[in-house]
Amino acid sequence: MKEPTKPIVTAPAETETPLALPRVSVTEITHEDLDRAVDRERVFRARARKGPFGNLRLLWLLVGPGILVMLGENDGPSMLSYAATGARYGIGFFIPFIILTFVMALVVQDMTVRLGAVTHRGHAELIYDRFGPFWGRFSMIDLMLGNFLTLVTEFIAIRAGLGFFGVPPWVAVLGTLAVLYVALMTHRYWTWERITLAAAMFNLVFVPAALLTHPQWGQIGHALVSWGPLPGGVNKDMVLILLADIGATVTPWMLFFQQSATADKGLTPNDIRFGFTDTLLGALLAALAAIATVIATAPLFVHHMSAANFQAAEFAQALEPFIGRWGATLFALGIFEAGMVACITISISSAYAFGEVSDQPHSLNLPMREGKAFYTVVFLGAAAASALVLIPGLPLVSVVLVVNVIAVLAMPPALIFLYMLVNDRELMGDLTSPRWANVLATIVVILLVGAGVLYGISVVAPNVFARIGGS
Amino acid sequence: MTETPQHDATHISAQESEWVMHSLEADQLASARAEHYPRRKLKRSEVILFWGLRLYLLFMMGVVCYQVWTTAR
Repeated sequence: MKEPTKPIVTAPAETETPLALPRVSVTEITHEDLDRAVDRERVFRARARKGPFGNLRLLWLLVGPGILVMLGENDGPSMLSYAATGARYGIGFFIPFIILTFVMALVVQDMTVRLGAVTHRGHAELIYDRFGPFWGRFSMIDLMLGNFLTLVTEFIAIRAGLGFFGVPPWVAVLGTLAVLYVALMTHRYWTWERITLAAAMFNLVFVPAALLTHPQWGQIGHALVSWGPLPGGVNKDMVLILLADIGATVTPWMLFFQQSATADKGLTPNDIRFGFTDTLLGALLAALAAIATVIATAPLFVHHMSAANFQAAEFAQALEPFIGRWGATLFALGIFEAGMVACITISISSAYAFGEVSDQPHSLNLPMREGKAFYTVVFLGAAAASALVLIPGLPLVSVVLVVNVIAVLAMPPALIFLYMLVNDRELMGDLTSPRWANVLATIVVILLVGAGVLYGISVVAPNVFARIGGS
Repeated sequence: MTETPQHDATHISAQESEWVMHSLEADQLASARAEHYPRRKLKRSEVILFWGLRLYLLFMMGVVCYQVWTTAR
């Protein structure tokens, strides 16, 4: 049952939302409401201002969930996948392919903005409400299992990134848990969002690392146009990297996080256009960092250095002869940052979903006394995952790749729920997803299922690729 | 748009409450979350799609386990 937030004032009810769902019989105003109202008031004021400064101010106030989800998904295992891509395949097929994966992410994430802004509800809650607890539990198992495994890989990245500087694993883990605690103890969505956004911008340290390799721009342009070369053709290893790169961009936690964050931030249907801009900006920044990572590790491919079993710190060490100490330092810092920011966003996506399905208060605007369950889920998930990576002898690289593959495989069921919710007229009224977005989302589902089937074939019958021209 | 009232961290005044209700949509309030959307009736084709994708996921998880097992060997 819902633990009641402290009712301060009971006022006569507003009885009907614009879409007549749901009806609110009693209105209790809480501190969470007050904080959200302060944020909305700023938006109203910015909207009232005419001219470019008004629009810029509005953009500044409304961006957040989209950039956070995209840069958050440029996490430890993602950057490791991009690094492995550059080291094994150089500059070629995977440069345009990574752009395609971000287009796919943009299409589906924009749907979550629309859902969150219109319904003011999180993704898990809507799945439980509209499809019932049977399908809701499946969805939650997918999310919680995926999130936990991904959190483990974030701590692997944190440990490896700081390991480059000689920081002991237990110090890296405890330091990250302390940062997570500090980020949450603001008890204010807006402050948390700005702090995390600032930290997420450090994802772009991969750009100077890439520039230090003195990339050949003509080769990059050729790759973008020709989708090649693809050394070795289609084979088992290539399919694993392909799936890992898709899993580095589109995963179930992103759907849950962005919709819940959109609702928690207080976005309304008037803000959907800015929500798209937010997600687009996030996709552009994240794609830039991802491609920069491929370019930064491409010298390992050129110099035929085997990177099959590299971890993050080993990538940085191997790159040092090509990009210098500063470049390698940036690379290691980037891996650490990627793990840390994702640790924050993924933990929070779990806590949002848990709160939504258990009717517990769930907002980053909650004071600790009202949001004990919410904050406990954030910390327990992160602490359990962090403890796991301290186990000696854990096959870290295998865990990272498997986690990304599982993320891709779990996406089609999650996307079908999203597709049906965002086209549900009883929920969305006239604000259902536009036809072009539905067509693109359908293509994304087909591509993801196709990639999954390709992966299945590569594992069960790898010889098939040799017959169609791969190695 | 109204003037933001002065906020006391421990107490929400009637003026603040009124201002909050003016600034937020009714279903944005925390108390509105107690109300849930009604369940929709799934069509047979939708149930088949859900089960199909669930079985796809279960099968593919088996493939992942097989790969982990063969790699570990």
